[in-house]
Amino acid sequence: MFESPTIAEFVTQSNLASTLPGTLLVAWTLLLVLVDLFAGDEREHWTPLGACLGLGVSFVANLFVYAPAADQQTALYGMFIADAFTGFLNIVILVATLLAVLMSRDYLMRAGIHRGEYYILTLLSSAGAMFMVAANDLIVVFVALELLSIPLYILAAFRSIKNDGGELALKSEESGMKYFILGAFSSAFLVFGAALVYGASGTTNIPQILEVAPAVVDAASSATFYLVVGTALLIVGLGFKVAVVPFHMWTPDVYEGAPTPVTALMSVTAKIGGFAALLRILVTALSVLLLVDGGVAAWQTTISIIAALTLVLGNFVAISQRNLKRMLAYSSIAHAGYIMVALAAAGTAGSADSATQGALVYILAYMFTNLGAFAVVMTIERVDGGGGNIDDITGLARSRPLLAMAMTIFMLSLTGIPLTAGFVGKFMVFAAAVQAGLVGLAVIGVLTSVVSAFYYMRVVVNMYLRDSSGELLPALETVYVRWAINIALAGTLIFGIFYPLASNLVSMVSIA
Amino acid sequence: MELNAISIGFVVFTIFTLGGGIGVVTTRNLFQGTIWLMVSLFGVAGYFVLLSAPFLAAVQILVYIGAIAILITFAVMLTRSVTRIKTRYIRLVPSLLASLALFLILLLGVTMPIFGGVSPEHAPATVASTRDLGAALVDENGYVVPFLLASVLLTGAMIGAIFIARDDTA
Repeated sequence: MFESPTIAEFVTQSNLASTLPGTLLVAWTLLLVLVDLFAGDEREHWTPLGACLGLGVSFVANLFVYAPAADQQTALYGMFIADAFTGFLNIVILVATLLAVLMSRDYLMRAGIHRGEYYILTLLSSAGAMFMVAANDLIVVFVALELLSIPLYILAAFRSIKNDGGELALKSEESGMKYFILGAFSSAFLVFGAALVYGASGTTNIPQILEVAPAVVDAASSATFYLVVGTALLIVGLGFKVAVVPFHMWTPDVYEGAPTPVTALMSVTAKIGGFAALLRILVTALSVLLLVDGGVAAWQTTISIIAALTLVLGNFVAISQRNLKRMLAYSSIAHAGYIMVALAAAGTAGSADSATQGALVYILAYMFTNLGAFAVVMTIERVDGGGGNIDDITGLARSRPLLAMAMTIFMLSLTGIPLTAGFVGKFMVFAAAVQAGLVGLAVIGVLTSVVSAFYYMRVVVNMYLRDSSGELLPALETVYVRWAINIALAGTLIFGIFYPLASNLVSMVSIA
Repeated sequence: MELNAISIGFVVFTIFTLGGGIGVVTTRNLFQGTIWLMVSLFGVAGYFVLLSAPFLAAVQILVYIGAIAILITFAVMLTRSVTRIKTRYIRLVPSLLASLALFLILLLGVTMPIFGGVSPEHAPATVASTRDLGAALVDENGYVVPFLLASVLLTGAMIGAIFIARDDTA
């Protein structure tokens, strides 16, 4: 019979300590359900505070666990991998969630839909993202992806619950429904792909796939074929989640209809989870999927084409958007394209590390900048849904000079102007692409960045150079949102001005 | 293919699976569609028996036909205008092409050995017992971690479902 280990044996064998950031967050969230139950009328203060504290606890645990983590170790019997990649992305996810929670309270109070469940679902979703970046097995990737996504479907439809049938409630419901259907659809691709990869390689464990993949490729049998088809389906499934062309159709509607803090959160954590899984699966497990000996990984061309399409379509369609949230949705598609460039670069042997590091720095920069931009958009939105258009920010520089300045810096960073974090990210990604021999892709990236300047700068021009209709925008934000903007601004500037900082942070990362 | 119990069973279950599937996508009546889905799922359960996985076959019948199909039936009965779906398939040709393409790709993989490819090693003829499956699910070297993670996922989904369904006016 099976010997059951003692608790102490279990803790050592499973290396439970290195999973603490994620497991603590889950445990904290489940306790928060009870806090929300007993807090009564005070819950509008206690639940968000508890959520922030939980994120803080997880953050501290993450610093302890990953501070010396130059080495790579597995945990939970090979299902979970604890390395610098996990540690870094955990921090990005936690900061993103903190900013989103800070934005949320104000938004929910203003819309009259404050509910404790909101924070619980937010934290569960982020815990899912944290498990996803640490997933070392295709089954964990799938379950963690669902843990990341299902709360987001509900959060996207959150506005519909209390609001009685207004236009915003309908849009929010539509957003949640679309996200749910497309999400379920993409999960089916992911699972089918994982099943084919399992059929071909006989394992779902990522390092073991790496071990058996060369033999499978050499065999040139049906298994080889199914490994390639399975990889393609995995790319499709995760491509939906990170919203790259041609799997991006749902993004504008979902991002526009969802409550703004939810949009901000899902535009960051869902992409982090998806890209982490893509990097782990493609770079770690399938980097040996070579169709030509000594060549580049077989998936590189596909990823390059997806990246180029995403860059071009995302940036060009964003130009014609009048609604700021829609514009930021297309901009987020475009940014997924830049991260795809890094992913493509990782397919060339020898540049996997620099490309992964570039992707991580890009994700960090994108997280601060994008959340900041959404926070500013949220402050000028009105409860009835108005105020979110590009014309509504005209003259913002006169009515709210500091807010306009923050927005300007976020727009500069999204464009990739030096001294902002966005520049550092783009620089590292393009450098990795050139090093990997993908000069054409890097050129497309630079050119589309120039195109993106057009629509980002239009926001700045509207704020500074055009006269407003005379109506001053009311100050809608509370101290929490101001903090969210401040933190995002600080991150954007610190990582932009002290540019070696970000690359030092990721210098340990190696997943190849 | 020689004519024995297994090949006859295969043909029968294939008719069940594919026939049920065709029934699901062609009927305009949601309730009839559910019944066809049960037929199709029953055929899949038959495949599991043929593949020496009787436990999975039982689970397939208990969970999919016994629970999920019944759930769908309830959902259908709560839906208005069950039998009068007016919308036609507006994208018949693209979806037909997409499913044909997927079918051909998978078919290519199966027939590769016939066209000169190497046929893969045959899987060992072990019968996975219920006990093996149970061990794989909760043994520490099995899938206990995804199993636990799935329970967290269910908690989140349940909180969300209660939240969505709750009537705030009450």
